[in-house]
Amino acid sequence: MMSDQGTGQAMDVVKRSKAHEGPRNHIIAYALSIVLTALAFLVIYYQHVLESWFVYGFLIILAVVQAVVQGVFWMHLKDRGHLQQRIFMIGGCIIAFTALIMALYWVWW
Amino acid sequence: MSDAHVQGNTLPRELEKATLEGRNKILGFWLFLGAETVLFGSLFATFLALRDSVMDGPAESELFKLSMVAVATFILLTSSLTSVMAIQAMHRHNLKSLMQWLIVTVVLGFAFLGLEIYEFKEYVHEGHGFTTSAFSSAFYTLVGFHGAHVVFGVVWISIIIGQLRTRGLNVVTAPKVYVAGLYWHFVDLVWVFIFTVVYLMGKVG
Amino acid sequence: MAHAHAVKRYRGLMDWLTTVDHKKIGILYLIGGGFFFLVGGIEAILIRIQLAKPELSFLPAHTFNELITMHGTTMIFFAAMPLIFAFMNAVVPLQIGARDVAFPFVNALSYWLFLFGGIVLNISWFFSAVPAAGWTGYVPLSGPEYGTFGVNFYVMGLQVAGIGTLIGGINFLVTIINMRAPGMSFMRMPLFSWTAFLTSALILFAFPAITVGLVLLMFDRLFGANFFNIDLGGNVVLWQHLFWIFGHPEVYILILPAFGIISEVISTFSSKRLFGYSSMVFATVLIGFLGFMVWAHHMFTVGMGAVANALFAVATMLIAIPTGIKIFNWIFTMWGGHIRFTTASLFAMGFIPTFVMGGVTGVMLGAAPADYQFHDSYFVVAHFHYVIVGGLVLGLFAGAFYWWPKMFGRILNERMGIWTFVLFFTGFHLTFFIQHILGLQGMPRRVFTYMGGQGWDTSNLVSTIGAILMGLGTILFLVNAIITASKPKNAPADPWDGRTLEWAISSPPPEYNFKQLPLVRGLDALFVEKSEGHKAMTPAEPVGPIHMPSPSLIPIVFSVGLLIASLGFMYANQPFSNEFIASLFKNHVIAIAGLALTFGCMVVRSIKDDHGYHIEVEELEKEGVHQ
Repeated sequence: MMSDQGTGQAMDVVKRSKAHEGPRNHIIAYALSIVLTALAFLVIYYQHVLESWFVYGFLIILAVVQAVVQGVFWMHLKDRGHLQQRIFMIGGCIIAFTALIMALYWVWW
Repeated sequence: MSDAHVQGNTLPRELEKATLEGRNKILGFWLFLGAETVLFGSLFATFLALRDSVMDGPAESELFKLSMVAVATFILLTSSLTSVMAIQAMHRHNLKSLMQWLIVTVVLGFAFLGLEIYEFKEYVHEGHGFTTSAFSSAFYTLVGFHGAHVVFGVVWISIIIGQLRTRGLNVVTAPKVYVAGLYWHFVDLVWVFIFTVVYLMGKVG
Repeated sequence: MAHAHAVKRYRGLMDWLTTVDHKKIGILYLIGGGFFFLVGGIEAILIRIQLAKPELSFLPAHTFNELITMHGTTMIFFAAMPLIFAFMNAVVPLQIGARDVAFPFVNALSYWLFLFGGIVLNISWFFSAVPAAGWTGYVPLSGPEYGTFGVNFYVMGLQVAGIGTLIGGINFLVTIINMRAPGMSFMRMPLFSWTAFLTSALILFAFPAITVGLVLLMFDRLFGANFFNIDLGGNVVLWQHLFWIFGHPEVYILILPAFGIISEVISTFSSKRLFGYSSMVFATVLIGFLGFMVWAHHMFTVGMGAVANALFAVATMLIAIPTGIKIFNWIFTMWGGHIRFTTASLFAMGFIPTFVMGGVTGVMLGAAPADYQFHDSYFVVAHFHYVIVGGLVLGLFAGAFYWWPKMFGRILNERMGIWTFVLFFTGFHLTFFIQHILGLQGMPRRVFTYMGGQGWDTSNLVSTIGAILMGLGTILFLVNAIITASKPKNAPADPWDGRTLEWAISSPPPEYNFKQLPLVRGLDALFVEKSEGHKAMTPAEPVGPIHMPSPSLIPIVFSVGLLIASLGFMYANQPFSNEFIASLFKNHVIAIAGLALTFGCMVVRSIKDDHGYHIEVEELEKEGVHQ
């Protein structure tokens, strides 16, 4: 039962994807995450000089960008052989998004 | 258990993907994360729907201690990096380094939990308890579920460190490490949205 | 027999309690689901007896409410879904040319979690604390203020079973993605496996929503939370949203496998390939996706407003399009084919017009303004029974007669089968067609009785008679199964001249399914080989030792732990005459003990690696390893 089957996932014994050589990309992702987080806290610190729609919007964008950075780099979503992973992660995000719309518009009126 | 493909004398870099079972576990865990996305999405939705129902409790803008949240965020983010370093060590087949990075990850995880427990005790003291209002129930359930995921994660990774010590790094233990790493990243990802939506947006006002 | 390590093999009852073999687990699901189908059926008969005549006092009102709650909950979660998993387990690995599912241990765990979830729900009968808030459990009727103790059994039972379903969905997704035989691309996969795949995707995304809903309800009821407590800022509509974000995809989870079964059965018994394969796949994907966008059509009358209602109404009607594509494709498959009338094909052919009827009333209900008239009337009851019973259950019967030889090595008696069909099909339409009229005449649903002289009396009586007929048909099926069990196990590998891989191996298959994984050279893989004059599949690999997973007792212990924890949480604040027992519950000792048992199982499973065992080539050549 454990005999490897050809279809489905190719057995890439020799993978020379440059992103995997060394921790450089991951440290960049870390630095980016720190910056994005710091920016978010800064926006709150200076919220009194900013429009509230800008504060909310920018915070969301910062969070989404950081999520994408971490997902793509640390969780290898951009790598080959991750198509199903991307499909189902995006699917989950779509359903989660409809739940958020529900909460914001159709619970109180 | 089919053995890893051997090219000459070298093992493949990514031991976790060397067997069908390993690849199945990784894919299966990704799918589970897809389900967890909807789970946390529903919890976030609940929180968003109920965040204005503060009733007699303290208001969000007065309650949240952003400095503590910033420190906790930094700790968890760093722990996510250290877990990445662990996987990198695993790909270099460096067992010692792998275990060291995992230990640091667990320690940081415990630090995060310690901070969060302290933070919750402060809030309860200030009149923000689980049963105070709909908002408070939603807050503790959302943030608490995340915390429970952190607890599960540190226990899980600790058990894996133990297995690495006794059995070393091979095609059976590698997928376990990889999957735990994915889990830990996901837990940090959820936290990005918690500190943004719960704490930072709670301060807008 | 040379083995590298000791082989742990069980016999008899222990074999069944520890099995991780998908074929055995399929049979376990069939028995478990079948049992709860009977329980739900008895509940239905009792309901119909009470409603046979106006102002009957056969049952008190609260018992009636308990019965409708349990009938709905049991039928959907503990009859329909397990029977679906029975066929997915029995058939999908065979159809894709795999030796088992991706995670055999998790497969067993899914089963025991379902069974213990069903036990948690149904022991409420023995504690005289049966949930009575409907299968939809709306707050505040199910909440701490108005809900009876029985609701706790509902919450816990569904939560436990839900975990099992979720991991089962993950299992089949990974199996189908990673373990198809060489040459079987996605577009060469049989339709039943496709629908199993998409159903599993729906499960993956739908169940977390109800998990959260049940958690919120549990916290409100047991720990003083305020999610649905209006006085402290809670909102009851939130429950409805979370429930139906799960609930609507759930009904597609119920019907998509039936669609798959119908595709297989119609094609086989028309001796013709499925018409429009690609459009069938695409239509099913579309139905699955749209199914997540329509949930609030169950909430048209709650007050979300015209914009929301319009959005959901339009989305609901859109689903009729891909569904219509499927109906036409089935008809075109039969057109020009050489049709054989067997019990399986009769059920499949009965499905088509019946499901269309259910579908069109669905479109009627989807028109939001009209729904204000239909909502909470028997029109709704008629609609959903048409699609679930007239759709799913007819499909399950078709699948049962079709795949029984593959699962059990025996063919069900055809004469009894045809009578089962006649009784059940007639009874079904008698029971539910008339309920459309009752609904339009104004009879509300979920009422334990009604006043005479409103023109409803005869219709209700007819409806009850139909239910009796369905019961007789079901009993006849049971008799058939029992009688068939005593016949010799000599069904041929391919009794129906099938087109798909499951018919390429013996009935029942050997433990390892395929001695050599087959090479798939096109859609309808077996038919491709047959049309070239081959008697069997071309193998894709040489004969070699086959690695099998070990049996395990952990899944059942894991589930027992959750049963104990459920009772522990439920009874934490209940009075006990015995001081010691009271303190055990009050301090959550029982609950924590249950959770510890479950988490302990997880730890043991992580630490104790399962190396499985090998079936060596000599054994394979002897073809001697059978279940």
